[in-house]
Amino acid sequence: MTDKTTHYPAVRLDPVCVEIPKSARPDMLVPARVWVDEELWKKAVSDRTLDQLVNVATLPGVCGCVHAMPDAHEGYGFPVGGVAAFRAKDGVISPGGVGYDINCGVRLLAADIGYGEMKQRLEPIVHDLSRSIPSGTGRGGALKLNAPELDRVLAQGCRSLVERGLATQEDLEHTEAEGSFATADPDKVSSRAHERGKDQLGTIGSGNHFVEVQRVETIYDEEAAEALGLWKGQLTILIHTGSRGMGHQICTDYVRAMDAVMARHGIKLPDRELACAPFDSPEGKAYFAAMCAAANFAFANRQVITHAVRQVFQRALGDSGDLRLVYDVAHNMAKLEQHGKQKLVVHRKGATRAFGPSHPETPAAYRSVGQPVFIPGSMGTASYVLVGTDEAFGLSFGSTCHGAGRAMSRTAAKKVKSGNEVRKDLEKQGIVVRGSTGELAEEAPHAYKDVDRVVQVVHDAGLARKVARLRPVGVVKG
Amino acid sequence: MAWHRFLDHTSEITLHVGAGGWSALLAEAGLGLAELLLRGAAAAPDPENTGWRPLEVASHDREALLVDWLNELVYLAETGLWVPQEIEIEEASETHLKARARGVTVEEAPSLVKAATFHDLHVRDLADGLEAEVILDV
Repeated sequence: MTDKTTHYPAVRLDPVCVEIPKSARPDMLVPARVWVDEELWKKAVSDRTLDQLVNVATLPGVCGCVHAMPDAHEGYGFPVGGVAAFRAKDGVISPGGVGYDINCGVRLLAADIGYGEMKQRLEPIVHDLSRSIPSGTGRGGALKLNAPELDRVLAQGCRSLVERGLATQEDLEHTEAEGSFATADPDKVSSRAHERGKDQLGTIGSGNHFVEVQRVETIYDEEAAEALGLWKGQLTILIHTGSRGMGHQICTDYVRAMDAVMARHGIKLPDRELACAPFDSPEGKAYFAAMCAAANFAFANRQVITHAVRQVFQRALGDSGDLRLVYDVAHNMAKLEQHGKQKLVVHRKGATRAFGPSHPETPAAYRSVGQPVFIPGSMGTASYVLVGTDEAFGLSFGSTCHGAGRAMSRTAAKKVKSGNEVRKDLEKQGIVVRGSTGELAEEAPHAYKDVDRVVQVVHDAGLARKVARLRPVGVVKG
Repeated sequence: MAWHRFLDHTSEITLHVGAGGWSALLAEAGLGLAELLLRGAAAAPDPENTGWRPLEVASHDREALLVDWLNELVYLAETGLWVPQEIEIEEASETHLKARARGVTVEEAPSLVKAATFHDLHVRDLADGLEAEVILDV
């Protein structure tokens, strides 16, 4: 049935998917699919998400369908929550399709103890976390690097941290791409990006980035939870951050560079922020190498923060505070992947890779259930653990959502409740919070969509499978 | 008279700026960005140099120059812990600007604004000046 809530001739294919056919606009090369139920569809049509998604469907070499996940909202260039794949042989790569926070992602740590066993120590632990992990871009992060050391991080990611004692072999095995893209080239990273990133390793950043202490509230899939080492009542920690100023500057540099050469490549765009170049061009190759370097920096950033978190818990709880890395997964990346007979450059901007049990890149430890996926909700709601499905590979290039998704601007959120009110609300729920009052107001739960609904859509659609629901008990905001 | 304001966007911030001429618009855009960069920051007069700093940016068209100018200021804030408070545009064509600015230092590098973007970027000529919109990634 054709949907009347948008000027696009959208057709609901099933209870969790709406399609905009490629006939909707003359310049579309492929259809667009929006993974939403009726309620989330109302959100999708309330801003310019669909316009941005349709714009992506016009880019050279795009194939299959372009996708908006249920948490999608208006961004710049691509919508946040957008997925698009381009043929490597004649398609493009777009820095705006990855975003400024390259390899923004999440990682989950799990303790061997239940939350109840450390509940009395929660407040000092959250306080210690806020002191031990720099949140903003201060005069220095947790790890000072000279230029060659920074280049090693850019080239090797988490692998460069093993000999420093900041990462273990098991950590690498439980990180997407083992925390290191060999295709990274620090020489393609500008001196400005080096300068912005040089003292930011081990920092959270601002916005919606955080370190959250949680307890496992609900298990939906016992077999998958056991494979992931999760159980009801368990203490977990979720870390959400990315490549900081390093990634921001690399995106800035390459959007600018590609904007200048698109005419030479004969590319015309409906939006300049979609600036792109053929993947196989010098500009495309240079961006891909620099983006992979930023991704390595982001993996290493989350790893250095992990080390600091482990130290906090060991100080407080001794051996009971040991924390195992369950997995680390990116949600702002362009990756070269084999899909059937084609090599595709899959852009996920605010979307998570969700490979199923049979995919060779799913870590050996999780081959029985699928790659872990973490969906952070907003403060005070819940986060989810899911696993990827083989089905998603055919449905969405093996992709799923990345969060609850903003539903309200920062200004609007602050008008609903002040930072102090948000803090009090969270404290009433027993959640210990550290973070600036302004950030709390902008990132309050009411600014986001209903994470339970978002996750249910991807579960029902087969884009990922629910494993567990995590309840926050302590939050350190950027 | 130059002015700026911030418009709502689901996840970012739109800087809307107007002025009687191109130079004034560039200066006002810089001050608008500075307002965001200093939000919640502990700022102090620049101890190293309370005088003017020279700034120069070149781009390939008018819209790109505006974006590159703002990104220059983001870069200086994050790496130099410095945010302008007074901006004088000395020369401005559609592809090049020279300016000088006085500002304040901040204890922590402002992290709210990641970059100025090209998305929905507009510079419009009006009967009595110009206006522009730039979406800032925050």
